[in-house]
Amino acid sequence: MGRVMAEDVFEGIVAAHHAEIRRYLLRITARPSDADDLSQETFLRGFRAYSSLPPDANVRAWLFAIATNLSRNHFRSRKRQRLAYAVVAAETPVADGNWPDREALLGEARARAERIIAGLPVKQRLAFTMRKMHDLDYDAIGASLSCSPESARAHVFQAVKKIRRGLDDGLPVETESTR
Amino acid sequence: MTMPHPVCREIEPDLLAVAAREAGAAASERVERHVAACRPCRGELERYRAIEGLVSGIKGAPLPGDDATLARAELESRLADLRSRIVGFGIYSSPVGPILIARSELGVSMVRYLEGRVSPVSPQVRRVLGEDAVEDRAATESLHRELLEYLDGRRTHLDWPLDLRRVRSAFQRRVLEATARLPYGAVTSYSGIARQIGAPTAMRPVAQALRRNPLPIAIPCHRVIGNSGALVGYAGKKVGLKQRLLAIEGVRFGAAHGELRVDREAMYVCPPEEVEYCLPTCGSISSRPLAEVRLFGSRQRAEAAGLSPCTTCRPDLHPLN
Repeated sequence: MGRVMAEDVFEGIVAAHHAEIRRYLLRITARPSDADDLSQETFLRGFRAYSSLPPDANVRAWLFAIATNLSRNHFRSRKRQRLAYAVVAAETPVADGNWPDREALLGEARARAERIIAGLPVKQRLAFTMRKMHDLDYDAIGASLSCSPESARAHVFQAVKKIRRGLDDGLPVETESTR
Repeated sequence: MTMPHPVCREIEPDLLAVAAREAGAAASERVERHVAACRPCRGELERYRAIEGLVSGIKGAPLPGDDATLARAELESRLADLRSRIVGFGIYSSPVGPILIARSELGVSMVRYLEGRVSPVSPQVRRVLGEDAVEDRAATESLHRELLEYLDGRRTHLDWPLDLRRVRSAFQRRVLEATARLPYGAVTSYSGIARQIGAPTAMRPVAQALRRNPLPIAIPCHRVIGNSGALVGYAGKKVGLKQRLLAIEGVRFGAAHGELRVDREAMYVCPPEEVEYCLPTCGSISSRPLAEVRLFGSRQRAEAAGLSPCTTCRPDLHPLN
């Protein structure tokens, strides 16, 4: 059967990308059950549309675009957005009262950064996560978010600036003044 | 932190790019020149670099719930299910007009006579096959070739795996399965099929079930005729096509009461439970209704179906003309 070939190829695509796409969705939704559902939906849609994909298409970027669209629909409900934020906020480690060493400060800064990321506007968060956690280029991020690569980059920079502002005093930075 | 100087505000995107190691040569140089002279921005660059370090720490840290094993297994099973439903089809010309052949992973799922020129994307095709169907001539071409050989009389068997999942009714399934067992070149009546499936009075339901045969030719409903020998009906109003298919298989016809009928007097006869075939005049066989026998147009067809000549009437010694 002619399609058998295409199906085998798709099996390879699942093997190569499913874990990463689910991880991306887990970072975005913060809930394993949502990541399960959305990653499954991503690949089922991919399977249906795969035959019309140009042969030289970047399959990984294409899957990220499907997953991103599904996440944006998912977060049209504000409640889900709050829920995802709450999950991250709840995981913030509590300082144990000892003299804060650099490791502890770093851990706390990391947790605070994660909380700030979870609270970002959806587009910024998606762009930031694709760029910083999954190393997608701005062309692919722009395609996922239906915007230009420049706008995609601006979303990521906005996110970084917000983390910068949010961490103003909590970040153990080795600057000239502390050296 | 606010950056008081407009030059500092302007350099900020470059600063971010340098910290993220994304800056081009020109931007890097701009930043280098600026921070050499501007202490607050030097501090900013360090902070952004620290944030990049923090972010890559987050990226590398284990993520709670990051186990895709179960999700992957579920996805695989959904895909397998979806795959088995996907239908690949082709539309071909044939001596009996344009014909659609569709198959799934499990087997051939549809053969359909089409009217006129039909495009693969026409609403008619979508309605018949559903949205998930894809044109796939590579998957159906060999079927088409075999069908042409069959219509040409060069092939007596279509050994196709069949996908009957679209047939929801258990009754219709039984009718189709009994019909599929009718050998090449044999005919019986609707009542004959009804008897075989253990529902001897269900002649009309059998006719209805065959009218909705999704796989004409592959399931040879053209070999099922009326009790009188009249052809009755086929694929809507294509009785002429039914006659043509039967003629290919060597079935004999005559006219009675101004109507075309299968000529029982010119055919060999075999009750379904027997292993011998007879002349139409053998013993009491001529008085048995068509529902209780199968007819063959030639000895060759009867013998190809595994039957041997009757030792009483000896059709081998006295063949029909």
